[in-house]
Amino acid sequence: MFLTRFQINPARRGARKLLSSPQAMHAAVRAAFPASDDYERPGSRTLWRLDTPATATVYLYITSPGRPDLTHLVEQAGWPTTATWDTREYDPLLGTLQPGQRWAFRLTANPAHSGRKTAEAKETQRFGYVRESEQEQWLLRRATRLGFAVATQRDGRPNLRLHHRRTLSFSRGAYPVTLTTVTYDGILEVTDGEAFRATLTGGIGHAKAYGCGLLTLAAAEGATAGR
Amino acid sequence: MTVLLLKLAGPLQAWGSSSRFARRGTEIAPTKSGVIGMLAAAKGIRRTEPLTDLLGLEFGVRLDQPGQILRDFQTARSLDGRHSAPLTYRFYLSDAIFLAAVQGDAALIHDLAGALKRPCYPLYLGRRSCPPAGPVSLGVEDIGLDDALKTWPWQATDRYRRGAPRIVQLEVIRDARPGDQDTETHPDEPVSFDPAHRQHTWRSVLRRHVPVTNDLAESSGVIDHDPLSLLGG
Repeated sequence: MFLTRFQINPARRGARKLLSSPQAMHAAVRAAFPASDDYERPGSRTLWRLDTPATATVYLYITSPGRPDLTHLVEQAGWPTTATWDTREYDPLLGTLQPGQRWAFRLTANPAHSGRKTAEAKETQRFGYVRESEQEQWLLRRATRLGFAVATQRDGRPNLRLHHRRTLSFSRGAYPVTLTTVTYDGILEVTDGEAFRATLTGGIGHAKAYGCGLLTLAAAEGATAGR
Repeated sequence: MTVLLLKLAGPLQAWGSSSRFARRGTEIAPTKSGVIGMLAAAKGIRRTEPLTDLLGLEFGVRLDQPGQILRDFQTARSLDGRHSAPLTYRFYLSDAIFLAAVQGDAALIHDLAGALKRPCYPLYLGRRSCPPAGPVSLGVEDIGLDDALKTWPWQATDRYRRGAPRIVQLEVIRDARPGDQDTETHPDEPVSFDPAHRQHTWRSVLRRHVPVTNDLAESSGVIDHDPLSLLGG
């Protein structure tokens, strides 16, 4: 597995198109892999996410089974003469994951449930969770199955911050797509190494093609103050 | 001294201090005459009756959520449509929330707090068409007016607070005291609300900012997240 970071130049026209449509970004990420094997393998798939750490700074993070080539992205939406992208081997970190470890994490996901629009409706469909409390519960309910537990703060609440809660709307061909997305920041504790590895490589929840489901880790030292 | 705290919040508010004729303006914050008038309405004092001890109250307000100015061009006609009222511009504050404090004698303040719970006449936020959203009285505190406005929690909506920084500076407008520097005057000290000879005098006010911590700030607890740092190189 590989973890890649690419900085987007938001002043470029190509970047505007990619940032405004997850459908276009999905296609651009897909085009970074010559062989379909590099994009998706049994048990692992390509996931991506946009992070905005500061105004006008946009990072694209990608985890993928194969090594991506983002030359086309640099040409359309980057800085072709000065900066390219950063790809690191993900396996060394994945190999060291063990129960009991604490990590700071960030996840952008599409918290949703399926149901019927009306009692008489024949077909079930997917509905996004819009309330903050429901979005929080959505992740907490899944955590055990995904191989981790969200740490508890001193005040007894889960160490979790929800931000960038929004409803995305874009067109996919002739049809509109509407997605509720939210970014979770917090501290987690690994409970099941194997399941957690599968979570990092396979993603969480729906809308993985549209920038959801990628969970990334960072050192938790600075963030354990809340404990 | 004893302080009565009021939460002035509603979809629309209108606090005019110098409106004349067809242009009915609003200040950016509740006026003393408007709030004293509301307290008088709660106590059941008629417009023609003297305000007596309400005139001695000290007043201050904190702009917890400034809201936006809304202009209404009003073209009212009579019920049968034959006569038109003068065309007026009416200005409102929409989606604003204020924390107002009234300081005075303890017995009077407790009396007013009780009256706000069971008002004699309907309460409204500066204009009859602007009812308050929820109870107006936040209760009585046995601290000074300045301390009350400084320490009382921020009343803005959760949505507004989430978008605000960790520490916000809220504007406080209160009655000036002897010796205060940099004061301004407004025609906003009520003397009589009698429709036959309504009277206001000038009121000196002082504007200050107080810092309030915002526990809902979106950035609170969110740290820089650099997943590449774990992978070396």
